[in-house]
Amino acid sequence: MKGSTIVFYLLALLTLVCGILSVSTRQIFRAAIYLLFTLIGIAGIYFWLDYQFIAAVQIVVYVGGIVVLIIFSIFLTQQTGERLPRQKPGRKIFSALAVFCGFAFTMLQVFQHEFTGTLEEGAQPSVQNIGKLMLGTQNGGYALPFELVSMLLLAALVGCIVIAIKNKEEAK
Amino acid sequence: MFIKNYIKNIFSAVKSLLVGMKRTLYYFTHHKEIITQQYPDNRDTLILPERFKGEVVMPHNENNEHRCTGCTACELACPNGSIKVITKFDISPDGKKKKAIDKLVYHLELCTMCNLCVEACPSDAIKMAQTFEHSVYDRNQLTKTLNNPGSKIMDGVE
Amino acid sequence: MWSFSNIANLVHEVLAEHFNPAITLAIEMVIAGVSVIGLFAILGLVLVIMERKVSAWMQIRLGPNRVGPKGMLQSLADTLKLIVKEGMTPNGADKLLFNLAPFIAMIVAMLLMAPIAFAKDLQMWDLNIGILYVSALSSVTVISILMAGWSSNNKFSLLGAMRSGAQIVSYELSAGLSALAIVVLTGSLQISEIITSQANGWWIFKGHIPAIIAFVTFIIAVTAETNRAPFDLAEAESELTAGFHTEYSGMKFALFFLAEYVNVFIMCSIAATLFFGGWMPLHIGNWHKFNHVMDFIPSSIWFFGKTFFLIFVIMWFRWTFPRLRIDQLLDLEWKYLLPITMFNLLLVTAVAILGWHF
Repeated sequence: MKGSTIVFYLLALLTLVCGILSVSTRQIFRAAIYLLFTLIGIAGIYFWLDYQFIAAVQIVVYVGGIVVLIIFSIFLTQQTGERLPRQKPGRKIFSALAVFCGFAFTMLQVFQHEFTGTLEEGAQPSVQNIGKLMLGTQNGGYALPFELVSMLLLAALVGCIVIAIKNKEEAK
Repeated sequence: MFIKNYIKNIFSAVKSLLVGMKRTLYYFTHHKEIITQQYPDNRDTLILPERFKGEVVMPHNENNEHRCTGCTACELACPNGSIKVITKFDISPDGKKKKAIDKLVYHLELCTMCNLCVEACPSDAIKMAQTFEHSVYDRNQLTKTLNNPGSKIMDGVE
Repeated sequence: MWSFSNIANLVHEVLAEHFNPAITLAIEMVIAGVSVIGLFAILGLVLVIMERKVSAWMQIRLGPNRVGPKGMLQSLADTLKLIVKEGMTPNGADKLLFNLAPFIAMIVAMLLMAPIAFAKDLQMWDLNIGILYVSALSSVTVISILMAGWSSNNKFSLLGAMRSGAQIVSYELSAGLSALAIVVLTGSLQISEIITSQANGWWIFKGHIPAIIAFVTFIIAVTAETNRAPFDLAEAESELTAGFHTEYSGMKFALFFLAEYVNVFIMCSIAATLFFGGWMPLHIGNWHKFNHVMDFIPSSIWFFGKTFFLIFVIMWFRWTFPRLRIDQLLDLEWKYLLPITMFNLLLVTAVAILGWHF
């Protein structure tokens, strides 16, 4: 077994074990921390694949952003120290079923897909290439979706300001 | 207008921060400004600040005379009762009775060095000394009699 | 002339002769790890004594002067004390997370060491996205603080953790945006390319006013991100005893302490790399003779000199300015630093497109 295979299995083990723990633990703060390790494991797999940009973005967005937000909302809403009540068996079975269906669907797709090998060299996942593709307008450029997403974000920003803004008359 | 204020704010903030940083840099580079006293090492050459107050004393002159009239102003001024004036009546040669102190008892363990007694004294009989090594093994040693034994009031102090 | 890459190649050749490739790689990784840990220990000792001396002199005090010559071994004695002390875990704490948090802080600090170029040819991992990698990983530090604050089961700790969370999440923005200014000028995120682009002058001189603005905002944001005064609300001694590490003692506390100092070092070395050319000696345009003279000073001395100068600046901040209140802190970020850095980014882009820089 090659060294890199061992590293892959270690990362996969970290991701899977922490993923299972994050749904099975009864302390909500611990669940968030296990989720964090799951996401770090996925970032590790991206690093292992040499997709460094995606890995770094994974860490910035999910680890540094989303998980911190989740932890913050837990701090602000839940009584974090207490254990959550046990779930009803019906719910457990239903969620297990849902997970199994999703898993089966993904696996079906993977196994049915025919992977064709190629002799051409893969595109370098360097930042320059990613940037050019992301903002390119010709063959396979993603300029339009990129701008659409930025419009969405702008709308979200404006919405936040509208919600947060102080109405002077109301304040009086 | 808003933009102008905003930019002015930024520049004045940066300027005031730089003023503070200039001061600390001055201290950082000028080590002779250091005020720390390495006390037990420099015990012989220790220079205390002028306003340092260690304990209350009563100065006597060479004839063993002090300036205290026994008016108890210090006792009344003391906020925590660390001074107790015990008076007696001296009989002067012409047969008059005159109030004088027998003992001026000073409780150093109660004193907070607030200087109120010194300020209250009408005849400048007591003052603050700069001695500060007061630790003793027995608490009773901290109760002191300020007037020397056999001392008497200076002539001309009423 | 010897260089670090020659030494690395020599070690690699010697190892490759005796072992098979996998074991060689493993041994090399162990060597790198041990040297990073050694660097951590030395940095901890040096920075702690430096901080104590700087603070003392700025406050007209003498500072530690008993242990060793002029008190220079004080931090060694402190370390010894911390090692001997018992590492307590409070009763109501979440034991797993409580004991995990300091190690996360430490691991993040260690990972951040990877892309830093300490001298010419001395860099562990020259990855394509150097600056992005640093800014991504430095945001993970907040997780360890949140973990420590929550699992201590202590109100002070929790408050400190909340404050530091709000602080780091917001100041990361302006740190990233000001770093981006130099990335725009260089056209690359790679650390080695950023350094070689400064061969004819450092960016702070070449980039005119926008580079200087970016440098100032970067230093402010970095001070906030490493939780140092005047932004040390997370561990405000007078309000929260010690903030998120109130309950920690012994070596676990020391790890947090060390991680803070190492983070300061890393952030300052990143600032030195971006704005002062990392290990690149002071070169001025086409003055070849001057440049040649400067090349005689070893590159590691340039790097550590610049980094320690910036660390001194951050310590200077700490011992000069009073602590900000939480609302002032957020005001400073959202109302001042962020608009300034965004405007500055526009300015830098204009400068880069029009080629106004040297």
